[in-house]
Amino acid sequence: MTSRQHTAPRTQADLDALQTRFALRLAARLTEQSQAVSPDISERLRFAREQALAAARPRLAAQAADAASRSGPSLALLGGWGVKIASVLPLVVLAAGLVLIQRWHSSTQISAAAEIDASLLSDDVPPDAYSDPGFVEFLKTPRD
Amino acid sequence: MASEKELSDFLKSVEKRAFKRVVYAVRDDDAALDIVQESMIRLAEKYIDRPAQELPLVFQRILSNATMDWFRRQKVRNAVVRNFSEFESTSEDGDFDLLETLITHDDSTATESASDSVSRSQILLAIEGEVAQLPTRQREAFLLRYWEELDVAETAAAMGCSEGSVKTHCSRAVHALANALKSKGIEL
Repeated sequence: MTSRQHTAPRTQADLDALQTRFALRLAARLTEQSQAVSPDISERLRFAREQALAAARPRLAAQAADAASRSGPSLALLGGWGVKIASVLPLVVLAAGLVLIQRWHSSTQISAAAEIDASLLSDDVPPDAYSDPGFVEFLKTPRD
Repeated sequence: MASEKELSDFLKSVEKRAFKRVVYAVRDDDAALDIVQESMIRLAEKYIDRPAQELPLVFQRILSNATMDWFRRQKVRNAVVRNFSEFESTSEDGDFDLLETLITHDDSTATESASDSVSRSQILLAIEGEVAQLPTRQREAFLLRYWEELDVAETAAAMGCSEGSVKTHCSRAVHALANALKSKGIEL
């Protein structure tokens, strides 16, 4: 019975899995072996890599310049209206600020004058009394 | 588009495996180094504008093509040499071929003797030897699929064949390797 279990036919998926597992084990050994190359070969590979990078640099630089020039036109497009707006906007903000400050200052002065008027009108002494020389003299006279 | 750092990191990660892969095919370190360098430069010059994630597949394709180009050049050169050698005696050529064959057999017997109680490095050498002896397409499929970890579709694209062919090549390669290693008493 046990032997029947061992000899049970494997499915295609099982075989594929076994094949993959074995292949990956082999690949791992190959990787291990590939790292053990001699120093002169490592050096030549490093030289080859540097040559390749040197060959890539002009193209990388050209593409960087191309990208910069592609982003350039957007600034140039902005230059027509954008630069004008950008130069005028601070002046507009400054003028608006000055107007707001002036209005705030005048409204403060008006409210202060209104307070004085209100206090004068609500006082026991009538406002005409302050124009009377006798009353002014009375105020200047020290009280005993 | 890949940056210089991405290209450098990619080449650094792949260079040793690429070298070994070509050595398995051409069996000549100097030629393999030339092919790897040529492939790296071709990748850098022509395909640097590709995204970094496409570089592995493109590089494997370039490496395969460069290896094939090398074999074509060798074939032409050998044909020229053979044409000239027809004016010479054939005995020298025979000696040369025999010597090469003996060298190859010496290598194989050295690895064959490393059975059962073989050291780890000898096992690795034996595996390398068996991989190198696989038929070209089987070896390519096996290395791309399992060593470079490309999927079946990518391997097929790199090899310029159908996915079914890749599966067949891989299966045959794995079975051939399993049988060869088993016959040497090597178990993984």
